[in-house]
Amino acid sequence: MSAFLETRQLGRTFGGLKAVDDVSMAIEQGELVGLIGPNGAGKTTLFNLISGFTTPTSGEVLLKGERIDGLTPHDIARRGIGRTFQNLRIFPNISVFDNVTVGAIGHENIGLGSIFPWQKAKSDRITHKSFEALEAVGLLADADDLAANISYGKRKYLEIARALAMQPDLLILDEPAAGLNETETRHLADFIRRLHREGRTIILIEHDMRLVMSICQRVIVLASGRKICDGTPERVQQDAGVLEAYLGVDE
Amino acid sequence: MNASDTTSRRWLWTGLILTGLFVIVPLLLSLAGRSYFYQIANTIMIFALLAASMHLVTGVAGLLQLGHAAFYGIGGYGAALLATHFKLSFAATIPLAGLMAALIAFLVAVPTMRLVSIYFAVATLGIGQMLHVITLNWVAVTKGPNGILLFGGMKLFDIDFSKPVPAYYLVAVIVAACVYVIHRLSHSYYGNALRALREDDQCADAMGINTPRLKLESFTVSGFFAGVAGALWAHTAGYISPADFNFNVSILILSMVVLGGLGSLPGSILGAIILIGLPEVLREFKAGDFRNIIIGVVLFGVILFQPRGLIGEVSALDFIRNQFGLGRKARSDGKQMRVGWL
Amino acid sequence: MDYYLQQLVIGLSLGMVYALVAIGFTLIFGVLNVVNFAHGEIYTIGAFAGLLLFVSFAPPLVVVLLVVLAVGALTGVGLERFAFKPFRRFNDEATLKSRAMREATLMSSLALSIVAREGIELVFGSQFQSLPLQHMLNSPIKIGPVTIVDGDLIIFGTSFLMLAGLQFVLKHTSVGLSIRAVSNNALGARYVGIDTDRTIAWTFAVGSGMGAVAGILVGLYYGAIFPAMGFTPGIKAFVAMVMGGLSSIPGAVICALIIGISEALSSIFVSSVWQDLVAYAFLIITLIFFPRGIFGGARERV
Repeated sequence: MSAFLETRQLGRTFGGLKAVDDVSMAIEQGELVGLIGPNGAGKTTLFNLISGFTTPTSGEVLLKGERIDGLTPHDIARRGIGRTFQNLRIFPNISVFDNVTVGAIGHENIGLGSIFPWQKAKSDRITHKSFEALEAVGLLADADDLAANISYGKRKYLEIARALAMQPDLLILDEPAAGLNETETRHLADFIRRLHREGRTIILIEHDMRLVMSICQRVIVLASGRKICDGTPERVQQDAGVLEAYLGVDE
Repeated sequence: MNASDTTSRRWLWTGLILTGLFVIVPLLLSLAGRSYFYQIANTIMIFALLAASMHLVTGVAGLLQLGHAAFYGIGGYGAALLATHFKLSFAATIPLAGLMAALIAFLVAVPTMRLVSIYFAVATLGIGQMLHVITLNWVAVTKGPNGILLFGGMKLFDIDFSKPVPAYYLVAVIVAACVYVIHRLSHSYYGNALRALREDDQCADAMGINTPRLKLESFTVSGFFAGVAGALWAHTAGYISPADFNFNVSILILSMVVLGGLGSLPGSILGAIILIGLPEVLREFKAGDFRNIIIGVVLFGVILFQPRGLIGEVSALDFIRNQFGLGRKARSDGKQMRVGWL
Repeated sequence: MDYYLQQLVIGLSLGMVYALVAIGFTLIFGVLNVVNFAHGEIYTIGAFAGLLLFVSFAPPLVVVLLVVLAVGALTGVGLERFAFKPFRRFNDEATLKSRAMREATLMSSLALSIVAREGIELVFGSQFQSLPLQHMLNSPIKIGPVTIVDGDLIIFGTSFLMLAGLQFVLKHTSVGLSIRAVSNNALGARYVGIDTDRTIAWTFAVGSGMGAVAGILVGLYYGAIFPAMGFTPGIKAFVAMVMGGLSSIPGAVICALIIGISEALSSIFVSSVWQDLVAYAFLIITLIFFPRGIFGGARERV
């Protein structure tokens, strides 16, 4: 029985730099896993390798036992990986609701044929899923606002809602707490916990150590592109290598 | 607001538009009584279709297109050659001209789709210019700068549509049908997908949107409608030459879309009405052709002072969701709104 | 054989002219990351300014070239003021490089180019302007088996001088230093106290001056001065810029020469009316197969 998501000796070099080096990890269904590491540790690159934005130079990525490395981002997204972006990438000039629909549209694989009346069921499903996702993050009241006009905190949730509308089997959140204050971060923690309780598999990439330690069951630590620790938050906190990696770069 | 209210509103606006197009405008034209006015009306409708087709690819999908006249020209020359060389009937040349333009658009799009923003724009400009050089110099087929005269008029099921009034109705029906399809494409979740790739194509890709396919589709569809417009032009004008499809025409169409508002279908059509109509109105008062200079000034003024255009995308979409009842009603915090698409 | 050599010389002159126009494009793209669509009209304006001088005062050629250089530079500064500066309301990195800004300035310069071209046409009419014969640069000179005209030599000479002048300005003057700094890193340049707005204006002045001189040279060489004359060289210069890798001046110059020579040589095989297709074909092939320009080099996603 293979894991839900697995990377095997995954590597990516840029020029001579090994951004991700020989990373093997396995995520089981229903897990909430934190991925941490000092700046430049290769977290986002690893993430881009999984979601197809970057192609690996070595190793492979498997989702539910099937190789997904080398596929396009939209193929990977349709196979069930939903993501958010570290530097907020919402669609600014369309409404909040229309932003969320994009996730659902991707999932329904809508095409030119959608203008025909017999495709109405698809549109209805998209509307329905988008409402659900907006409701889940509590942005329903802002649905018809332009995405550029809502607050920074709300945009973060909008990104998550858009990813949720993709009905992903695996949700990858890239630094969702960046730029949020303490209260907002606490809300976010509760929200991620709730998503997890509802049965979602989540990988959380975070800088905010407290957030990760408080909600994740398992933490994977990257440093200089390599996986240096993988275990419960308690174990990671006591790991000498982790301490060294963090202290070494003054974090 | 209940469901029947929504339906009745949608019919009210649809009815208004159809009445305007098929009753009021022909009535005004017949009062004016000059066949020249019918010609202007046809030109406006043909350019409304061109602007609408560019709206889809440039306004909605965000691919800056500087060679739209090329596909318009392929449609025009395609129809003219099919009608004169192969003696095909009017009814056959219109869709065939559209398909020819769509095929070329597809072939152009396959290699250029990777390009973004201004690089794509310049590639389309280059391709438009190539086609212009070809129509100008491939004299054996296109008769070069002399252009092609079309005989035989517009016959459909043995009825002659060449007279001003029937010609107007024929053009109006075809343009209305094409614009309806573009309206359905841009005001639906398909349109949302296109907007997503306009806003951020990489991000749209990560959401499961097949961005290369969408770009290809929208470009091809847009080419098809430009081709249909070209065929209509060839048949209504009865004569085409390379000058009808040169770079200035591409810019004219772009100006219509920018003036009306990028991403706004009603805006594009309004832009076509203004930019074809205004020089005609001015011509009535003054000698000399200021059309191109007006277009330059208008385009510059809009980009500088009113970058959203006369009817911005946001208000256009609101209008269509509300007045045509195409949005889904929602209520939250006592706020009523229409979102998404039916 | 002589015929080929002859075509080669014609191609070289043509290429030199494209190079002068391409340098303006390249400088401006390097500094602002935008396409100046009105660059071709600067070329036209240069030609008309020279024409007016010739018919009214008939000064020596050197004076005409200097005046045209100044007129071009001034027009370039004016163009920048109206078509580009208003869009730099926000000066952060994201705005400076944003797609919206690039597309807006592309369209605003396009709009102004239409106004300029049509304006000239309203004043002078769309036909070719007749240039007094004695000013035309086409007295034949025989060098061995090849006959060239003095225009070829003057185009070579002027272009060469201007290229050398440009190198001097860029490498050894404070304006050139700021141009290179802004081109490298606009924000960084601002932090170290370089007045970016002034530098951008200077860039337009330098690039446009060279474009205008190219216009009058071609006008004198072919005797063809008309309002729409800038369109095709503008596009070809643009092609040279893209081929050369967008912000490399030597790359643009070499590619301009390649285009000029290819066009001249193509007329050996096909009728010269097809010659324009060469540049468009180069453009499409470069964009598709060599998005970083034919000499490679770093560049953002195209």
